[in-house]
Amino acid sequence: MSDTDTETSEKKQNTNAALETVADAFSFRPRVLVVDDEERIQKACHRLLTQEGCEVALADNGIKGLKMIEDAHFDIVLLDLMMPGMSGMDVLTGIKARHPDTVIIVITGYATLEHSIETMKKGAFDFLSKPFSPQELRVVISKAIEFIRTLQDIASEKTRMRVMVNTLKEGVLTTDHQKNIVLANPAFLNMIGSKSQRSIGLHVNDIVKHPRILEMIDQALAQTSGHFSEITDELSLTPEDSKEEKIIGIRCFPFRDRLDRNLGAVTVFHDITALKKMDQLKSDFVSMVAHEIKSPLNSILMQMKVILDGLAGDLTEKQTDILKRSADKITSLAQLASELLDLSKIESGLINQERETLDLGQLIKDQVQFFRDKADGKSLKLIQKPGPEGMSVIANRTNIEEVVSNLISNAIRYTPSNGKIDVWCDQTDDWINIHVADTGLGIPEEDRKHIFDRFYRVKNEQTRFINGTGLGLAIVKSIVESHHGTIHVESKPNQGSHFTICLPKPEHEI
Amino acid sequence: MSEQKLILVVDDDPDLVEAVSMKLEAKNYRVAKAYDGVEAMDRIKEEKPALVVLDVMMPRKNGWDVCEEIKNDAGLKDIAVVLLTAVADSVKTTSYTHHDGKTTLADDYIPKPIDLDELMEIVSDHCS
Repeated sequence: MSDTDTETSEKKQNTNAALETVADAFSFRPRVLVVDDEERIQKACHRLLTQEGCEVALADNGIKGLKMIEDAHFDIVLLDLMMPGMSGMDVLTGIKARHPDTVIIVITGYATLEHSIETMKKGAFDFLSKPFSPQELRVVISKAIEFIRTLQDIASEKTRMRVMVNTLKEGVLTTDHQKNIVLANPAFLNMIGSKSQRSIGLHVNDIVKHPRILEMIDQALAQTSGHFSEITDELSLTPEDSKEEKIIGIRCFPFRDRLDRNLGAVTVFHDITALKKMDQLKSDFVSMVAHEIKSPLNSILMQMKVILDGLAGDLTEKQTDILKRSADKITSLAQLASELLDLSKIESGLINQERETLDLGQLIKDQVQFFRDKADGKSLKLIQKPGPEGMSVIANRTNIEEVVSNLISNAIRYTPSNGKIDVWCDQTDDWINIHVADTGLGIPEEDRKHIFDRFYRVKNEQTRFINGTGLGLAIVKSIVESHHGTIHVESKPNQGSHFTICLPKPEHEI
Repeated sequence: MSEQKLILVVDDDPDLVEAVSMKLEAKNYRVAKAYDGVEAMDRIKEEKPALVVLDVMMPRKNGWDVCEEIKNDAGLKDIAVVLLTAVADSVKTTSYTHHDGKTTLADDYIPKPIDLDELMEIVSDHCS
């Protein structure tokens, strides 16, 4: 690779113009050596090949031919098999030993099948049988030139790819279907702390020790036609020579041939340590700020309440009104601070560590109970629909209560008076589902894909007076995903929304 | 009317203690105040209140521990304990009755931010 690079840069300097270099590359002049003892054939070839744009050299016997090949590189050799002295067959072997990529066209007086096969076996590209017409020579030569060009294209493509892959900051590991390493770039070797100088050709187990990476490669290789998919994971790797832990995002996918057969696996390693650190920093910061804001807000609220209750002297109606509005504003602020705290706790994985078996029917019953007064206050029918007995999931209690609570509280806020909210759970093959369906405002289609984004709120005439932080559903989604579940919503404006949460059945959880 | 009941209010935020106290006094309770867990234990032993409104997150000694000490002391265990908890912050959940995997011995719970009217109901329930 480095040789090619130097050559290219020298060439650039010599010609002093990139344009000319490109032109050179296109006007490729093949160097052809004709080794034949017949002067007539030498001359004919020389004339014709020169016309075809080749640079032609001549040798009238094998020894001379081999000598010339040692001195300089030839792209194509036209080689007579029957010559006095050294036989053409020996010359052929000699050329192949020195320059395996030289294209050799054998000229033979007796084109027997046996002979042709033998020359081909020894590495000849093609043969011409005497006597041959100029047209036959042209065809064979242009075929050879085409072949050389293709080889050159492949070689430069390979070089380009290698330079590219080797300069990537992402680690790349490619294995064939027998798990032999086809490619392993320096970034990859560095990430896994491998000291191996040569990795290509080795079995992947010789280089990679991490069981999860090996498992991912196995999974990728086990995929069959029509079922190809990417396997992703995040791993913490600590190279032997450094104390510092690295978080690596890994993507592993199979590559296939034209017939869709699995040829091997490409694994890409992306160092996300810095990203993770920043994210943690952000969560810590948000958490700290939110906490510092929340506590004083809560005491301000209580102090206002004391004043509002007349414990600090009588209030005029106007004063009461103003204080009540202020208290509402501060309540929203305190709520925002609380939700920010929740979100940062979830993001840093702090509150979903303890998992237990949860009876969902009971959990929903409790939540419905909690919200009963609020629903009654708006004349909403909040109902737990009966579901199958014994629906349970393995999850964090606080988290799942928060999920259900957020959905019910949203349903109450976004459903006009006299509406109905149903909450229930059921199951499908692999999932336990929690449903919260209301007869409320619904979610306009253009907003639907954003409602799980942080701070996103549906803004229109109907929602103007509804308070919210835009964090509730983001929290719900984070929790559900941290439990390997999914959430989706069906909604029709002015008819209502139906949120469904799917959590893995206990037997599917590891 | 019987003798006014003594309520101890414990929180590291003096403003919160003050607001709760004013509300309690307005309801004709006598009020004692403490600002951390250690001070709370001292007050409890000295004054034997009828009920303690007890914050959880406090310096020196947290509310879970204070609660446990009260309930494991034969002389104090009849004192009612109402925990102020911020564990389940933004929503009401049942998990604030649990700590370290076991059910706490507190008599009642109220989440922060405190609804003062709700707190008054809880206090009166446990003092009658």
